[in-house]
Amino acid sequence: MALLETTDMTVTFGGLRAVDSVDFRVEKGQLVGLIGPNGAGKTTFIDGITGFVPTTGNILFDGHEISHEPAHRRARRGLGRTWQSLELFEDLSIEENLQVAAEQQSVGGFLADLVIPQRRRAYANVQFALDVLGINDLAKRMPTEISQGQRKLVSAARALAARPQLVCMDEPAAGLDTKESEDLGLRLGRIIDAGTTIFLVDHDMGLVLSVCDYIYVIEFGAKIAEGTPQQIKSDPRVIEAYLGSAAGSHEAAGPHESAEPEK
Amino acid sequence: MGGRASHPAQWGAVIERSITQVARWVVAALGIATAAFVLLDAEYRHHFLTGSGVAQGALIAAVALGVMLTYRGSGVVNFANGVIAMYVAYVYTVLRRDGDLFLPPLPNPLSVIEGIVHQFQPHDTFHLPDIPTQISFGNGLSFWPALAISLAFCIVLGLVLHFFVFRPLRFAPPIAKVVASVGLFLLLEATVIRRFGTRPIAVKPIPFLKKTTQMNLGFIKLNQEQFFVGMLVIAFAALLWVLFQKTRFGLATRAAAENEKGAVVLGFSPDFLAGTNWVLSTVITGLLGIFVATSLSTIEPTVLPALIVPALTAALVGGFTSFPRTTLAAFVLGMQKPLISYLGVNKTWFPKSGDQAFPGVDRVLPFLVIVLVLYLAGDALPARGSITAGRLPFSPTPPKWALRIGGPVLGLAAAVFGLFIFSPAYRGALSNTLVGVIICLSVVVITGFVGQISLAQMAFAGISAFIVSHLSSEHGWPFPLPIFAGAIVALVIGLLVALPALRVRGVNLAIVTFAFAVAVDDMIFKNNSVNGGFKQALVKAPDWIDPNQPKQRKIFGLIAGDGKLPNPTTAIFCLVVTVVLCYLVANLRRSTTGRQMLAMRANERAAAAAGVNVSATKLLAFAISAFIAGIGGAVIAYRSGNATPDKFDYTQSLVIFAFAYLGGISSVGGAIAGGFLVAGGLVFTFLQQSLGVPPEFTLLLGGLGLVITAIQNPEGIAGRLRTDGLRLKAKFQKPRSPSSAPTTAAPLVDTGSP
Repeated sequence: MALLETTDMTVTFGGLRAVDSVDFRVEKGQLVGLIGPNGAGKTTFIDGITGFVPTTGNILFDGHEISHEPAHRRARRGLGRTWQSLELFEDLSIEENLQVAAEQQSVGGFLADLVIPQRRRAYANVQFALDVLGINDLAKRMPTEISQGQRKLVSAARALAARPQLVCMDEPAAGLDTKESEDLGLRLGRIIDAGTTIFLVDHDMGLVLSVCDYIYVIEFGAKIAEGTPQQIKSDPRVIEAYLGSAAGSHEAAGPHESAEPEK
Repeated sequence: MGGRASHPAQWGAVIERSITQVARWVVAALGIATAAFVLLDAEYRHHFLTGSGVAQGALIAAVALGVMLTYRGSGVVNFANGVIAMYVAYVYTVLRRDGDLFLPPLPNPLSVIEGIVHQFQPHDTFHLPDIPTQISFGNGLSFWPALAISLAFCIVLGLVLHFFVFRPLRFAPPIAKVVASVGLFLLLEATVIRRFGTRPIAVKPIPFLKKTTQMNLGFIKLNQEQFFVGMLVIAFAALLWVLFQKTRFGLATRAAAENEKGAVVLGFSPDFLAGTNWVLSTVITGLLGIFVATSLSTIEPTVLPALIVPALTAALVGGFTSFPRTTLAAFVLGMQKPLISYLGVNKTWFPKSGDQAFPGVDRVLPFLVIVLVLYLAGDALPARGSITAGRLPFSPTPPKWALRIGGPVLGLAAAVFGLFIFSPAYRGALSNTLVGVIICLSVVVITGFVGQISLAQMAFAGISAFIVSHLSSEHGWPFPLPIFAGAIVALVIGLLVALPALRVRGVNLAIVTFAFAVAVDDMIFKNNSVNGGFKQALVKAPDWIDPNQPKQRKIFGLIAGDGKLPNPTTAIFCLVVTVVLCYLVANLRRSTTGRQMLAMRANERAAAAAGVNVSATKLLAFAISAFIAGIGGAVIAYRSGNATPDKFDYTQSLVIFAFAYLGGISSVGGAIAGGFLVAGGLVFTFLQQSLGVPPEFTLLLGGLGLVITAIQNPEGIAGRLRTDGLRLKAKFQKPRSPSSAPTTAAPLVDTGSP
């Protein structure tokens, strides 16, 4: 059974169908990519899966129908996400940012905390996330003190600290140069090795084609293609969507031909 | 699985939406039915359409129009607008009476020297020159010159408020703007009270308007003044409507409210627009304040400020955008008052308390309307698009040394001083400070940790205090039990007030809680069957807490107390509760829940994505905060031996919010600093006893300090000490560990106030 499966998932904003009846599967242990041009509905698709916009249709995660659940419950089920705009908790240290994701609070735990607070509950998960992304040295720093590239790693680490089964990454490569992008690919590999499935949304074709096992392509909210990187590279509709019909005979886009990140 | 059918659980959302929709229709239908009944029934109509109601409505409308102007011009919900109406009315009244333009008291640095000299020289013979307090225009002025000077004063006031208070706060978070307007509220009110006391002053009539000339318009009878005031407000509302709908200035202001760059494109600087709207606001508010004060014949410092609640209600009904709807709502809110007081006296079905009509019913209506509007319309206050939004003060993790050394040392010092060293005045001040710390802690939890503004903390405290009084003296509950009963009731009511918080936030919530505080104050605390009337609501406390036990005691072989009131062990009771609560709140900050709260404060979406249940955490924060405030109220009741309404009225809620913000809104250290500052606390007792600063200055300094803190030092005293300490530490440590962050934001080091 697939880890995540959507059937006929649709998101509408007024009259606009931002995500239009998309059927989509992620198998456990895979690195699945989603690409599409600016405004294709990629981020809205993640928002729909993780519970930040209302959807119609079905979303099956780990055998449970989750399309009616609030965002925080989906997160607790093991469906993590990152944000394109990172959305770090600017008032908390990096360590505390990760702790918020790693810790679960029970009523008993809350009352016990009022007497003797457990400052490092579930710290193994925090440590795990710091290790996988190699940012141990940032733990005590504040988000305002570190570089943009480091902030991206922290945002991925925060999603990972909850030990999710699946983490949806929204444009993690946006704004990175080629070397940083390759480095990111390496770290994604480590996340997969640690047993977390990744759903990667990006319009950096180079990164997606080089690291993903399976790729979906959407345009104007609708799915236009799916398949292995080889299949996607040669799919005429993808080439048209990305390069326009005049360039139909060219190879697929390289890492630098992606457009500016969506804002 | 699969197919187009949505999951049954999705129906929940659908049902909720339909309930909201149905509720909207029901409320609208009820409103129309009530209006039709009141207007069709001759008796009701007669008491609804009254001249005094029109005058009240006009005043509410004036305050509401001013509030809308400043909101649209600069994004500030000005809680002080009612006070501005009062202040200008005082300026005018005094000009007519004495021909003097009184000035706000400016700080005179020489007065400190005077105070110190008086310490050593008991006869007040030493005097230094003072800053003038008024400009004299000769004997009492006639109407037109007094009006002209008052309006000139309004223009200056508007400009001062814009350039010195709210312009520096352009990019500040909404909470800083609320804080500044609360500071302004306290400052202006304190100035008036300092100058004129709380007794009503007569306002001279306007020469061309006669109170005695009744006008009969067929459906309503009113005197010339009331007619004039009503017409004036309607004229202003119409003018503003034209200004905003038909002119480029109005278009630019509307554009700026959406997007500040939009106004620039139209050729207006947002700064000019904000300033102009401020001046318009103070002029309209002030002008109508003058006329309404005239029609009321007297003016006093307590009536007009509270009108901000119905005014905000009217502005919310108008969505902060529609001048006609706001004006209509304001007139309805003003005119219902005479009707309700008539019904209270004459109708048997009217809720009674004893043999009197239940008080404050007319004040509850605005609160109910606010809750309904906010709940049914979602975010009624349109969010303003500004270029950047600032952040709330940083909330540091309590450092180990503060918990292990700072807390115990401070607690022990308080105990030793309270028992053996302090004079009676300082013993009382110590208890006031400790109680202040408790209430400030409740503000720290809700505002500091969660970022929600509650202006009703003393209302929660008061509810608990009156419950303690009844349970301890009438039902004979033994000592600690009433405290928990009171705190739990406060918690439940806190949760009820918090329900709107799930749908509204920021400034809207400040409005809800403020309206709640005013409603509770009028309906419950001022209700004689609650506060005991002349007998007072007494509290039966054990001997060692009872403040009226001047007994000396032997403690550790030393004699505590000097045989004078207050009881030295009363402060020990306050101290124990305060210390326990300080540790609980510090632990909360260090716990998972505390991190979740701060995560939510920083970013609700990301917190939800990290698995934080945002609604539950918000409710929990309200519950904890109201519980702490409830304990605070119970301690106040025990330590004073009674519960009186003046300790818990809505101004007190504003004052405690002010001091909590001054001290530092986001840490336990800040709450302690806030406690030192409260009225009657240690700092003011020192100023009063040792430097001779009169007690009325508490409010004045509090208000002034709040405005300055909001602008200059949003982290509060504790935050300031912490950052200064870190800077010092960084200076000394630099050579040793260059990698450690020398910036202000290192989380685990704290050198702040204990």
